[in-house]
Amino acid sequence: MITDRRCSMTWRSLRRWLTPALLVLTIAPALGQARPAVFACEPEWAALTRALLPEADLTVATTAWQDPHYIEARPSLIAALRDADLAVCSGASLEAGWLPSLLRKAANPDIRPGGPGLLLAAEKVPLHQPHQHVDRSLGDVHPEGNPHIHLDPDAVPVIAGHLAQRLQQRFPDEAKAIQQRLLRWRVNWNLAREGWRQQAAALAGQSVVVQHGSFHYLLRWLGVDAALDLEPKPGLPPSTAHLHQLANDPALESALAILVARHQDRRPADWLADRQQLPVLVVPGTVTDEAGTDTLAALIGHIVESLVEAMEATAGER
Amino acid sequence: MTDLRHFAGASALALFSSTFASPALLANELNPDIGVTLDGYYRSGEQALSHREEGFGLGHTELTLSSPIDDRFEGRLTAVLEDHAGDTELGLEEAYIQTTGLPWHLNLRAGRFLSQVGYLNGQHLHADDFVERPAAYRALLGSHYFDDGVRVNLLLPTPFYWRVGAEALAGDRLGDTDGDEDIGVYTLSTKLGGDLSASQSWQAGFAWLRNRLTDVASDGDAEHDHDHDHGHDHAGHSHGASYTGKNLYITDLVWKWAPQGNTRQSQLTLSGEYLYADDLNRYASSDDTQEGWYASAVYQFAPQWSTGVRYGEVDLKEAHGDHFHDQSLEETEVMLAWSHSHFSTLRLQYTHQSTDGFEADDNTVTVQYVMSFGAHGAHDY
Repeated sequence: MITDRRCSMTWRSLRRWLTPALLVLTIAPALGQARPAVFACEPEWAALTRALLPEADLTVATTAWQDPHYIEARPSLIAALRDADLAVCSGASLEAGWLPSLLRKAANPDIRPGGPGLLLAAEKVPLHQPHQHVDRSLGDVHPEGNPHIHLDPDAVPVIAGHLAQRLQQRFPDEAKAIQQRLLRWRVNWNLAREGWRQQAAALAGQSVVVQHGSFHYLLRWLGVDAALDLEPKPGLPPSTAHLHQLANDPALESALAILVARHQDRRPADWLADRQQLPVLVVPGTVTDEAGTDTLAALIGHIVESLVEAMEATAGER
Repeated sequence: MTDLRHFAGASALALFSSTFASPALLANELNPDIGVTLDGYYRSGEQALSHREEGFGLGHTELTLSSPIDDRFEGRLTAVLEDHAGDTELGLEEAYIQTTGLPWHLNLRAGRFLSQVGYLNGQHLHADDFVERPAAYRALLGSHYFDDGVRVNLLLPTPFYWRVGAEALAGDRLGDTDGDEDIGVYTLSTKLGGDLSASQSWQAGFAWLRNRLTDVASDGDAEHDHDHDHGHDHAGHSHGASYTGKNLYITDLVWKWAPQGNTRQSQLTLSGEYLYADDLNRYASSDDTQEGWYASAVYQFAPQWSTGVRYGEVDLKEAHGDHFHDQSLEETEVMLAWSHSHFSTLRLQYTHQSTDGFEADDNTVTVQYVMSFGAHGAHDY
């Protein structure tokens, strides 16, 4: 009898501790599930998700101030990926330095390569510049092709379609609303694209100096040549020797501007710009929180606008 | 020449054709990722508790194969070639399988792997910022402790990162012991972490390592004939930890800062760990404990350049039968590293050691390269 009572005493005191602990363990994830949780590796995919599912609880792993190749697999990101229902990333090795570590540590049963909770945008559209024979003497090239697909006016709608489909699978209750928002988004995108096409008509045949292939798809769509790159090899920072070589390149004279992304060090661009009286255009490489570049369409519009302004200014001088 | 041709080929591909991603890549996808890390150095003198000898030498040369096994498992194999006094040894440092996608965010690992105690121990040596692990690690964990066993990790559903984990390990590799316990070592560990702002992040950890083989070790040492050649052994070739205790506690703290979180341009990393071992063997009194700590600051001030300073201490008890001899080591290291690309690092390091009970030079300079080719896995925090 005595043993029995002792047993029930310990059980009771144990239960006193266990109940809240179990409550926390069961309710906390349930609370997390209250809103659809989406993990976006880059802000462009977060912006698309926001357009299709505004009520999503979004975690964005990077910002326009950061180089998406170099992100730490931080504890906060592991925690966010653990709770996510869907992760949207660029793929094509862009996140090779950090996403595999996050996926392994978050151990989210749905979010893994090939799993229903991981969407890699670059797998949904054809990439430019794939390399059949690649070795690292070429620089940090991605054998799959250029992964900076988010500024391609023709590829983004394809990705938006895939994203909408995946969101509908993951959140069937929202399927209808997502479909409607996708249609509306498509109409707006097509309108904007017509605008860029008209604005850009004069840009075709021009050339700019770039740093890395971040704007490759957009420039190609605009018909703007980007043969001169401040990076001696993809992924390597501009070197003095390479900058001197660029400064003496005859092609530099006809360049419209030097186009660099906000997360890049602008000193190499400024140095070269001084030599050739070229304007330096610093634009966000991806969507920001600021008005004017807070959606993909606004961002592309902003970049096209900057290029057109640079061209008009140069034309004025000449 | 081949390089040039490759480059020309790739440029031609990029410039003159708009070829789209072809299925040719797929042929490769069934092969495992193969990566090789080359590590070579020149050192101007002898260092206490070091695995690297004076003069030219090779460090940790690794061959790594890793791949998903199917949709539920992934595997990794790391073979290490090490050179000791002219003999090349092939060791197996990692050979494990790991689950992917178990329910409740569980993570299981089995085989041979690096124990997850402490901050540095679970990381690969080639990712380190200094030529060698801190003195406390070299003494108490044999530089990096890996063993055969199983691991269970659980991520708790908290708004911040909180992982708890347990490991059961054979224990043979922690000290030169031949215990008859099948499971010689248990570890319990936890890690917490999060962001303070867009530019700052942190992680803290606590680990307890229970070593059930220490008593056996002391039996072996009881026959020790007191000729004081132990210190020399430790400075020379020893794979396991030279100093053990029944309990080893480790706490670690890491803080990283990068302006706007842009780690590509610049980053400051402060890290520190404290290790404490007690219950050294059956002759040990409660005052006989070993402890060590280090604090390190590494500043990457340009995409290709980083510099750092690390200070560490370790106070040890060397077992001599039924009594102990005190040993201690204080170490200050300053390094400058240049990484041309993500895959190549050249490092210059100055080390000052002041020792008590070890034979070593006070000041040494080491020049080291760490380079890798082939697949290069993602780095952990």
